[in-house]
Amino acid sequence: MISFIIRKFLLLIPLLLVISFLIFLGMELMPGDAVDFMIPPDALATISQAELDLLRSELGLDAPFLVRYGTWLVNLVQGDFGYSLQSGVAVSTLLANTLPATLELSLAALVLSTLFGSILGVVSALYKGRLSDNVLTVMGMIGVAIPQFLFGLIMIVVFVFKLGWFPVGGRLTVGNEAFLQRLDHLILPSVVLALSMTAGVMRYCRSSMLDSLNKEFIKTARSKGLPPWRVNLVHGLRVAMTPVAVLIGFRLPMLIGGSVVIEQVFQWPGVGQMFVSAVRSQNTPIVMMVAFFSVLIVLIASILVDIATALLDPRVKLS
Amino acid sequence: MKKIIVLVVLLCLSVALFATGTKEASVSTAPWQEKGTPLSDVRVRQALLLAIDMQTIVDELFEGMAERAIAMTSPGAYLAEGLESYDYDPQKAKALLEAAQWPKDYTLDVVYYYSDQQTVDLMAIIQQYWAAVGVKSSFRKLEGDLSAQLWTPPADRKVGPSEVKWDLAYAAVAALSENEFYDRFESTASNNSTIPYQEGLDELVKATRATADVQKQIEAFKALQRKINKNMYNIPLYHQLSFIYISDKIDLKQNALGNDQFSYEKNILDWTTTRPDGMIYSNGGPMEFYEAPVVNPGLYLYQELLFDKLINADENLTPTEGMLAKSYTVSADGMQITFDLRTDVLWHDGRRFSSDDVLFTFEYLIKTPGLNAVALNTLKSISGADAYLEGKASSISGVRVEGNKVVVTFETLDPNALLTFSQWPILPKHLLGSSNPVLFQQNAFWQNPIGTGPFKVAQTVMDNYAILERNANYYRTGSGNIKKIYLHASKENDGNLIKNAESGRIDYAWSKSVADAQAIEKIAHMTVNPVNIRYTRLFWVNQYPHPANK
Repeated sequence: MISFIIRKFLLLIPLLLVISFLIFLGMELMPGDAVDFMIPPDALATISQAELDLLRSELGLDAPFLVRYGTWLVNLVQGDFGYSLQSGVAVSTLLANTLPATLELSLAALVLSTLFGSILGVVSALYKGRLSDNVLTVMGMIGVAIPQFLFGLIMIVVFVFKLGWFPVGGRLTVGNEAFLQRLDHLILPSVVLALSMTAGVMRYCRSSMLDSLNKEFIKTARSKGLPPWRVNLVHGLRVAMTPVAVLIGFRLPMLIGGSVVIEQVFQWPGVGQMFVSAVRSQNTPIVMMVAFFSVLIVLIASILVDIATALLDPRVKLS
Repeated sequence: MKKIIVLVVLLCLSVALFATGTKEASVSTAPWQEKGTPLSDVRVRQALLLAIDMQTIVDELFEGMAERAIAMTSPGAYLAEGLESYDYDPQKAKALLEAAQWPKDYTLDVVYYYSDQQTVDLMAIIQQYWAAVGVKSSFRKLEGDLSAQLWTPPADRKVGPSEVKWDLAYAAVAALSENEFYDRFESTASNNSTIPYQEGLDELVKATRATADVQKQIEAFKALQRKINKNMYNIPLYHQLSFIYISDKIDLKQNALGNDQFSYEKNILDWTTTRPDGMIYSNGGPMEFYEAPVVNPGLYLYQELLFDKLINADENLTPTEGMLAKSYTVSADGMQITFDLRTDVLWHDGRRFSSDDVLFTFEYLIKTPGLNAVALNTLKSISGADAYLEGKASSISGVRVEGNKVVVTFETLDPNALLTFSQWPILPKHLLGSSNPVLFQQNAFWQNPIGTGPFKVAQTVMDNYAILERNANYYRTGSGNIKKIYLHASKENDGNLIKNAESGRIDYAWSKSVADAQAIEKIAHMTVNPVNIRYTRLFWVNQYPHPANK
């Protein structure tokens, strides 16, 4: 298994190179550059092209594409993530400011959705065709179908404006900066984010569990006289969790930038908002680093999924 | 949305009606052919405006929260009397187009650069109005290097051809002074991409800058407006309002409300709040950095509260008494201003403010890209500014420091000099002295700015909030009880403004969004105060030929 993991990690290097080049190229192909977004369009009318060119030159935007990509890559290898073109702040500092917020929100949602999705999926499978299964199926459909921003706004209207239980948004308030003190800020956005994810896990878990319960080894276990809970939850669930683990594994990249909508609705100062803003303003150093880490996590997640699959399903061997 | 649909349906019907009465176009040579574009014919430009029912658009699309424009200048002392208003008259528009032999197969290429829904709706409605008088048009949003695509002037300012590749550009001008509206009508203006040299027009523009006498300036602007209005060199559409939102938790003590895109004296030190902790809430807090006061020096509340200017301005942005200068005098010919500086001013870090900071600020800002045209023009008008910019002098010779006095001598008269000194703050030389003015915004200073203003930065959690606290060392005290200001992190267009206002976490804020105003109007503890600002939406009309219209 160790040689498998080492081989997989070595394969990451060429993949990351190719993908980072493609992202850099994508940014290059977008019309305009960062300078076009630093000055409001109305004000551009009174600024000379020479001034704009000077700013481009100072920011290093006048160098050829390959030189800029090469510089970025060399700096990255040396641990220099670059600087925001808008503010001059180190990208590492910006990530250090925003990543904890996104991780906090996404991890909470991931844990909630995995927990509830798996439990409800199993319940739905065990009571297939009965009222509880039908109710959960309908709820799952609603959970998948309802847009996150709409659900978020409904939650704000009910729990903030009507009941006054939670703050309207933000991650923390003055003087309440410890995790437990700001837990009330986390509840609404994580529940909303978890909702659609729960529905997905539940549906996946249900069909996987049903599939697993029809397998020969389950029939064998039953015929050996094992109690139903042991057959279902130990033998059945273990195998059923394999595809669910794949689903959860591939949701790991969301930890970096997958909660943009929720961050916007709940004024959550995470990476997602920063990434969207950076793409809009063609702030390449920020876009590159966020994208780079997202890709890295996707690739690492795929390795973790392989390992988890092997651990969960004895029939799978890593080679 | 329903109203927009009804408008579009009505317009489609009128297209059908007018189509039945269309006559065959004359085959004789059109009078504009020689100039290479139908838009060079004033009758075409007038027809394009006559075809638009701007008042209905203001009433329906903007629900009355804007004002129809007949000139770039907003109603008030500067607006000329008796201008032709070109009220909606599709029959007259059609007659003018026929007289000008409008080519019916020609499709106007119209560009815009805003992506908000209101702009898209407005463009769709105008397209239908023009279709109703037989003018085809296509609209596209510009992306990328807007400056080059919109404002590059032609090499030959008399006959072109045009360097920009469109017929009309929907744009906005947020003007600090009237000159920002009209300087670009001059044939030599670096951003005049659309209006060829016109007999007498340059002289009228120059006349607006030729005197320091306000009354004479007003007359010069009015004369210029009349010529523009008669010849329809551009098509003014509407004046945008700004809306100031105030909660019932604060009392502004009858201080006037003004143009919050810039700085004016709000006397915030006299405001009171019923909040027990003395903290009031606003928006516009920094997301990644505090915005340097370069383009709009008062766009964000912190810009005008952290920094002081040499002189103050009232709600109409008219310069008033001294601020960092306890007094100032202007010579009779307007060519010299002497500032007598306060000696009791400290920077927020405890360093003493001095005349060196003033000289440094002038020499720094003049080299900062993107500096507002009004300020840049003032600084460039100072004697010795050219030599300094060209590297022939180490300092601007026209700025003389004499103890606590700063004497500014101008090479050419700038009627907006006092306006500039009432808007652009003085910066700390001891913190920015060794920095590169080209990368002003990228300086670490803007992570935690130090000013001399009545409030200072107490805490910043970027992209979350910032807290300003009352500056105990400020040279004025004030009678109010506001101790702190909490700024929600947001840009100028704050998508969370309504939510925060609803939840009681906005006490003072402003926006130009009609949608914000409509929503906040319904919140019981908030009041919405519309304010006239110099902000005009219009079409620039390309009167030079370009490849597509030849």
